[in-house]
Amino acid sequence: MKTGRARRPLTAWAFLAPYTVAVVLLIALPALLNVGYAFTDHTGLTRDPQFVGLANVRRLLSDGFLLDSLRASLFHVALAVPVRLLAAVGLGLLLAAPRPGGRLFRVAVYLPTVIPDVALAVLFLWVLNPLYGPLNQLLGLFGHPGYTWLADPTTARIGVVLMLAFPIGEGFIVVLAARRLLDGRLYEAAALEGCGPFGQLRRLTLPLLAPVLVLLAVRDTILTLQVNFVPAYVLTDGRPANATLYLPVYIFDQVFEFSGFAYGSLITIMLMAVTAVIIVLQLLLVRRWRVLR
Amino acid sequence: MSTEHDAIRLESLAKSYGKVTALDGVDLEVGVGELVTLVGPSGSGKSTILRLIAGLERPDDGRILVNGQDVGNLPPHRRAVAMVFQDYALYPHLTVRGNLLFGLRVRRVRRGEAEQRAQQAAERLGITDLLDRYPDQMSGGQRQRVALARALLREPRVYLFDEPMASLDAPLRFATRADLLALHRELGTATIYVTHDQAEAMTLGDRVAVLHAGQVRQVGRPQEVYDRPADTFVAGFLGSPPMNLVPGGGVLGGTADLTLGVRPEDLALDPDGPLEATVEAVEALGSEAIMLTRCADGTRLAVRTGPRPESRPGDRVRLRPDPSRIHRFDADSGRRR
Repeated sequence: MKTGRARRPLTAWAFLAPYTVAVVLLIALPALLNVGYAFTDHTGLTRDPQFVGLANVRRLLSDGFLLDSLRASLFHVALAVPVRLLAAVGLGLLLAAPRPGGRLFRVAVYLPTVIPDVALAVLFLWVLNPLYGPLNQLLGLFGHPGYTWLADPTTARIGVVLMLAFPIGEGFIVVLAARRLLDGRLYEAAALEGCGPFGQLRRLTLPLLAPVLVLLAVRDTILTLQVNFVPAYVLTDGRPANATLYLPVYIFDQVFEFSGFAYGSLITIMLMAVTAVIIVLQLLLVRRWRVLR
Repeated sequence: MSTEHDAIRLESLAKSYGKVTALDGVDLEVGVGELVTLVGPSGSGKSTILRLIAGLERPDDGRILVNGQDVGNLPPHRRAVAMVFQDYALYPHLTVRGNLLFGLRVRRVRRGEAEQRAQQAAERLGITDLLDRYPDQMSGGQRQRVALARALLREPRVYLFDEPMASLDAPLRFATRADLLALHRELGTATIYVTHDQAEAMTLGDRVAVLHAGQVRQVGRPQEVYDRPADTFVAGFLGSPPMNLVPGGGVLGGTADLTLGVRPEDLALDPDGPLEATVEAVEALGSEAIMLTRCADGTRLAVRTGPRPESRPGDRVRLRPDPSRIHRFDADSGRRR
C-alpha cells in the first residue's frame, strides 16, 4: 500500500517528463531569454549582446511606427474577435441540429481551417482584387462601384478581418459539440411554457453555452492578435500607411529585417501585456454582466 | 365515468417513428379531477401519449381533445397542459426562483405579480428555503418539488407526469406518492401519470390504463383490472409475482382452446388439494413468502403463502386453487372469456 502510494506520483511525473522538457526548452526558456534580451543591444547576428538598461524602453515610448502598429492591432482585435465568434457560434448553432445536408455544410464550414494560411491569403488577393475580384463584382450587382480594398487603410484592415472570418473551424466544432450536449428536454420544457425559438436562444442556449463562449472569446483574442501575421504579409506587407502593420508584423520586421533583436523582444513582451489587458477587461465584463453563474 | 366532456379525450391516436409503431389506435378519456395512470413495459408507448398530448410531437392520426377542444393544431403552450419530466428538466443555469419565474416572464407576467405567484407556489410545496439554490445543489426529491411548483404555475387544465419518481429511492417514493395524491385532490385537475412501476400505478390511479405495443389493453379501476384482467398480457403484467397462466387441459383443467390463470394468492396449501407439486424454491419476503412449485407435467405454479412456510425445496405439497378465482382466456387471442 505504502509503496504503491509513493510510486504513483513518480509514474505520473515520468509520463509528464517528455512534455515538461519540451515546454521548458521550447517555451519557458526562450521566453525568459526574451525578457533578458529586451534590455540588451542584441542584433541577432552578433555573439555578445551588451546590457543597455532601459534604452530600448525609451525608444519604444517615442516610436511612431509602434503607435501605428498598436492601433492596427487593436482595430483588428476589436473587429475580428466579434466577427469570428459570431460566425462560429451562429454556424455552430445553425448546423448542430441534424438536418438534411447538414454534414455537407459542416464540412464546408470547417474546410477553410485546414487550408494553409498562405494559400488562403493568395486566394483573398484574388477575392479582393479591385478589377476582377468577385467581392467587387458582387458589390457591383447592387450598383456599388466597389473598393480598392488593399490600397485604402480602412478597407485593407477590413479585408484582413474578412479573410480571417473563414478559418473558424475550431470554435465552430466546440460550439457544435457544446450545443449537442445540452439536454433536449430543457427545450421541450421551455416550449411548453411558450418560449419560442428566439426566446430559447436568449434564455437557454446562450446562457447555457456562456462558459464555452467566454473560453472561445479569450482564446480567439490571443489567437487573433497573432494570426494576422500571414495575411498582412501576403496581402499588404503592413501597408498601406502602416494600416496593417500589426504587432507580429512589426516584431518580425524589427527582428529579422532591421536586425533589432533586442527591440523586437521588448515589443513581444508588450504584445503579451496588451493581450493580457484585453483578456482581463473581457473577464471583468463577464463578471459585471454575470454571464457565468 | 365521463362527464359531459372529459378533461382529456384521445380518439384513435396513432404514431409511428419510421417503421416502429409507437401508438396504434389509442382511445382514452380522463375526467375532470381524475388521475389515470398509464402503465406498461418500456416501449409500450406511454411516454409517446404524453408527448402527443403536450404537443411536443404530432400524431400521425387521431384526435386529442382537452376540455372538449381539439388541440391538434395548437402549439404546446396554448394547450393548458403542464408536464413534469422524468428527470425534471430544471434549467441548470437558473436558481429555483429563476426556474419558477421562467414561464411567467415568457408569458410577460409583470415582475411583481410573477414574484408573488412564484412565492405562493414555493410555499405550497414547501421549498421557500430553496429559492436561491441551483438545481445541482438539491436532492432528487427537492428537484421534483421544484418541477411540481413550476407545473403548478402554468395553472393547467391537465397535468402530465412522465415517471416523476423513477430517480427517487424507495422510502422517498413512498412518502412522495402520498404528497402527490394530496396535491392532486386539492387541485382537482385531470392528471395522467406514466409509470412502469405497477405498485405506483395501482396506488395512485383512480383508474389504470395498461399499455402494450402501442395499444391500450385495459382501462379500469385498479382493483377491477387486477381482479378481472382483460387478457393474458394484463394478467401477466399486473401482480408480483404475476398470475400463473396454464394452457387448457393442463393442471387447472379446461379445454385446449383456453388458457387458464390463477393468481399466486388464490392457490392454497391444502393436504387434501387436487394438485400435487414439488417445491423448487421458497422466497421469503418477510411478511409473506412466495413458493415456486412444479407439477408432474412440468407446469410451474407460484404460490403466495404466509411468512415462514414449513416446506423446503424438494418437498411435495398439495395445492387447492380457489375455483371462483380461476380466470379463463382464449388460447389464441388471449382475450378474457
